[in-house]
Amino acid sequence: MTELERALVSLGGELAFPEAPDVSAAVLRRVAEPAPRPGRNRRALVLAFAVLAVAVGAAMAVPQARTAILEFFRLRGATVERVETLPRVPPASENALGLGRPLPGARTDVKIPEVLIPTELGGPDATYASEEPYGLQLTLVYEPGEGVPESPYTGVGILVSEFVGEGATRYVEKLADLATRVERLQVGPYPALWLEGGPHFVIFEQEGRVFQDEGRLAGNTLLVERNDVLVRIEGEIDRERAIEIAESLE
Amino acid sequence: MGDRPLADDELVARAQHGDTDAYGTLVKEHQTIAFRTAYLVTGSAADAEDAVQDAFVKAYRALGRFRAGAPFRPWLLAIVANEARNRRRSAGRRERLALRAAEDPLSGGAVPSPEAALLESEQRHELLAAVNDLREDDRLALSCRYFLGLSEEETAATLGWRRGTVKSRTSRALERLRERMEVEA
Repeated sequence: MTELERALVSLGGELAFPEAPDVSAAVLRRVAEPAPRPGRNRRALVLAFAVLAVAVGAAMAVPQARTAILEFFRLRGATVERVETLPRVPPASENALGLGRPLPGARTDVKIPEVLIPTELGGPDATYASEEPYGLQLTLVYEPGEGVPESPYTGVGILVSEFVGEGATRYVEKLADLATRVERLQVGPYPALWLEGGPHFVIFEQEGRVFQDEGRLAGNTLLVERNDVLVRIEGEIDRERAIEIAESLE
Repeated sequence: MGDRPLADDELVARAQHGDTDAYGTLVKEHQTIAFRTAYLVTGSAADAEDAVQDAFVKAYRALGRFRAGAPFRPWLLAIVANEARNRRRSAGRRERLALRAAEDPLSGGAVPSPEAALLESEQRHELLAAVNDLREDDRLALSCRYFLGLSEEETAATLGWRRGTVKSRTSRALERLRERMEVEA
């Protein structure tokens, strides 16, 4: 440890942190109450409206996104909005992808109801998980290679993200400008959305709270709603390839 | 519960089976570090308290997804930091870290002379001012590592960064601090 580091440790002991309040009684009182669990359909409906309201709020919070929402498309776990102009892109940072923590090995031992692996791509080069009260996000990372160009938006080849939660309550919001084409699809029995043609903006929200700090630009993306798992496939790939990958999830 | 204080994993296991007393013990054991983490993110005691309370409630409801054998503290602090970030966005302000009014002499047995104490005090204020002026990522990296005493792994989990990111940001922040302190020296 350097002298500066020792000085910082010493400084930490002298900081005037406000006294930590004892929240235990309040916490125990709250956990004794039944968790808010409205019926799934009703909950989905309520959240859908909430998400729209939140999206408007989020757009208003970013000066350059203070623009009209022209159109929106919705899956249960995702909303895609077409707006006049995209928000300002934040400075790139390693954390901007918001993948969570890396898991050792290519496969995951995280307990989730359903881990989907695209057999078209095989085992991922890396796996990340973000385990939170909101649900779980599992992301499979595929490095660039033959037929898989590097994405200028993610720096990797293909990202396959799976959002798992109660009714896919971890919402993905996208603000697409007019350069991006949005198409409704069916991938097998599942409803899906395909975004192509221009970069779009991604933020993560749930019930009025933005819980990823930095939005980011994203490339071509296929969103598939598979029961309670929202699958998101992103990369510099065309629609047919994305559908092939989605259909191979098992 | 017996004489021996229960370890986190035992308390978590009991809480997972609905033992709210066990969870209350976990709350009491971790609420100070949770509050300080939230305060570092929000810069507001009121927001930090709200964030901590909500985080403990959400953590309780998420215990079913907690992996047995995993350390509880970084998992909790990740939730706390998330809640704190949400509040920081809405508040849009941050109080600067400050030194305690009644400052103790620096560690070591010898009591410094008044002149030495004044110099040390000035240096500490300068160092803290330099930390406060760092960009947020750098400030959080240093605060978690040196002010809260979190390990690299815990800092990575708390802030949602990769461990390599913690290492590089800490190194970058220390370099900036050095430059700043050299300029002011």
